[in-house]
Amino acid sequence: MAILSTPRSAVQLASKGRPLREHLFRIALLASLAIAIAFLAMLIVYVVEEGWPRLDSTLWENQPSIRRPETAGIQSGILGTLWIIGLTALMALPTGILAAIYLEEYADKTKWYNRLIELNISNLAAVPSIVYGILGLGMIARWMQFGFTVMTGALTVSLLVLPIVIISAREAIRAVPPSIREGSLALGATQWQTIYRQVLPASVPGIATGSILALSRAIGEAAPFLMLGAATLVRFNPEGVWSTFTVLPLQIYSFIARPQEEFAILAAAAIVILLAILLLMNSVAIWLRNRYQKRW
Amino acid sequence: MSDVRNPLPTGTAVPRNPMPTSGTAEIGVSVPNVSVRGPEVPRTIEALDPVFTVSGLSVFYGDYEAVRGVDMTIGNREITAMIGPSGCGKSTVLRCFNRMNDLIPGARAAGKILYHDEDLYGDHVDPIEVRRRIGMVFQKPNPFPKSIYDNIAYGPKVNGVKGKMDDIVEEALTKAALWDEVKDKIKQNALSLSGGQQQRLCIARAIAVKPDVILMDEPCSALDPIATTKIEDLMQELTRDYTIVIVTHNMQQAARVSDRTAFFTAEVDADGVRHGRLVEFDETSRIFTNPSDKRTEDYITGRFG
Repeated sequence: MAILSTPRSAVQLASKGRPLREHLFRIALLASLAIAIAFLAMLIVYVVEEGWPRLDSTLWENQPSIRRPETAGIQSGILGTLWIIGLTALMALPTGILAAIYLEEYADKTKWYNRLIELNISNLAAVPSIVYGILGLGMIARWMQFGFTVMTGALTVSLLVLPIVIISAREAIRAVPPSIREGSLALGATQWQTIYRQVLPASVPGIATGSILALSRAIGEAAPFLMLGAATLVRFNPEGVWSTFTVLPLQIYSFIARPQEEFAILAAAAIVILLAILLLMNSVAIWLRNRYQKRW
Repeated sequence: MSDVRNPLPTGTAVPRNPMPTSGTAEIGVSVPNVSVRGPEVPRTIEALDPVFTVSGLSVFYGDYEAVRGVDMTIGNREITAMIGPSGCGKSTVLRCFNRMNDLIPGARAAGKILYHDEDLYGDHVDPIEVRRRIGMVFQKPNPFPKSIYDNIAYGPKVNGVKGKMDDIVEEALTKAALWDEVKDKIKQNALSLSGGQQQRLCIARAIAVKPDVILMDEPCSALDPIATTKIEDLMQELTRDYTIVIVTHNMQQAARVSDRTAFFTAEVDADGVRHGRLVEFDETSRIFTNPSDKRTEDYITGRFG
């Protein structure tokens, strides 16, 4: 038998049992996750069950009606929401991304005004959406005399999502390693060439993901539109940017406010449609992120 | 960093090629701006055909003077090595040669760097043009997250080079001794290459814009010895067409590849401010066998640093 120079007790490798705290911590984490998922599942199950009788093609083929709740649809709301989101994307995304490029690539952070701008953008992202509604009403609808049109709604929502777009685009741009910029500049590329050909392509997945999430926040907003004094029952589809419109959340709100049982069902069905649009947009965001994610 | 602990036996420091006999007689001698210790006056050997002539160069970051009073010359088609302990300012000086320091807010260079006959920091000088002629390879390989082909083609494209891009790419990769390894996967993402291959790709990328000078900032410090050997062999090849300035922590590397060596060190002045200094600049063989400054000798024999 070999004589061991190291005492047996020093090479004891068997488990001494994991401390209780480790287990408790893991359980707490799992429980938090379970609560979040459970509520989401409950919500989906509830609205689908409630709205099931009306989840058929009449829902998106018919216009809303007060007199015939059993055949009333939400076509004007769906199209109104799509118009608003489309126009918001056109206005808020380029502005937000260009602002983010300025702040990340050009702004001298030692200058006080750049720091002030940064601080204010973070603050703006936290401003309640109803405040943007007041701004839209006072500035865009009345002072600029745009009235309650798709344009007014889209401009208001653009202001609402702009800070979120800027913040998420900045994060995506910042995630591109400085060595990529140095590599490009060292080859004699100009700053704009470096941004346009290296930094932006590398940050597109992050920018796209953040933009989609910002837009899906805009989809769910009812408060700014309420503030704008929107018509809740619009029986025709928007025909252009100067047309009157309604959006899904507002239509849901007006249905729920009515006493008839059929409107409650209709509202639940409309919520399912709204959730479906949201989930679709978020899935696209996740797909984009996974498809184009960069390893460094 | 075993080379720091083990004293370098004199004799391993064989310079790349002995000085050409025709040039030795015309080498100028000047007294550099360093404190003199010991009986011998430290010498600065000026290159015969200088690409860069540095005089009284100081580099500031804001109010902080990081490097003081550097005088040296970089010879055409030579490899000049810059060695010294961490924080001695050798990378800072290197980054002045292609004005990469301009990108750091508050960075400023005082003194003069002549590129051939032109003041690199002159008012009319466009840093973009400077970087087009003076390429750079970085410490950590930084290929763009694109295909191997696009990595090489990027430089010529942004510089508006006309001509057959396929040929430019093949030529650059061939010169960087990478063509045979990658010719079948030229459209693959460059990040799929090994670290050593990535670094040679970065060298190829720099070559593709046909620069005059290639600056290398510790190009092998993230590589294994085999990849390092390949890069060193490549550098020897490249001196036929290019002037190379390399910053390295590896003294044996400096001894192996370079024609001239500049030894930098960090000093603390009377006010307690730490700053970088050029101690000695000479032919590599001389620096490693018979340095004139005591600090150089201490450093290369591993007594300090």
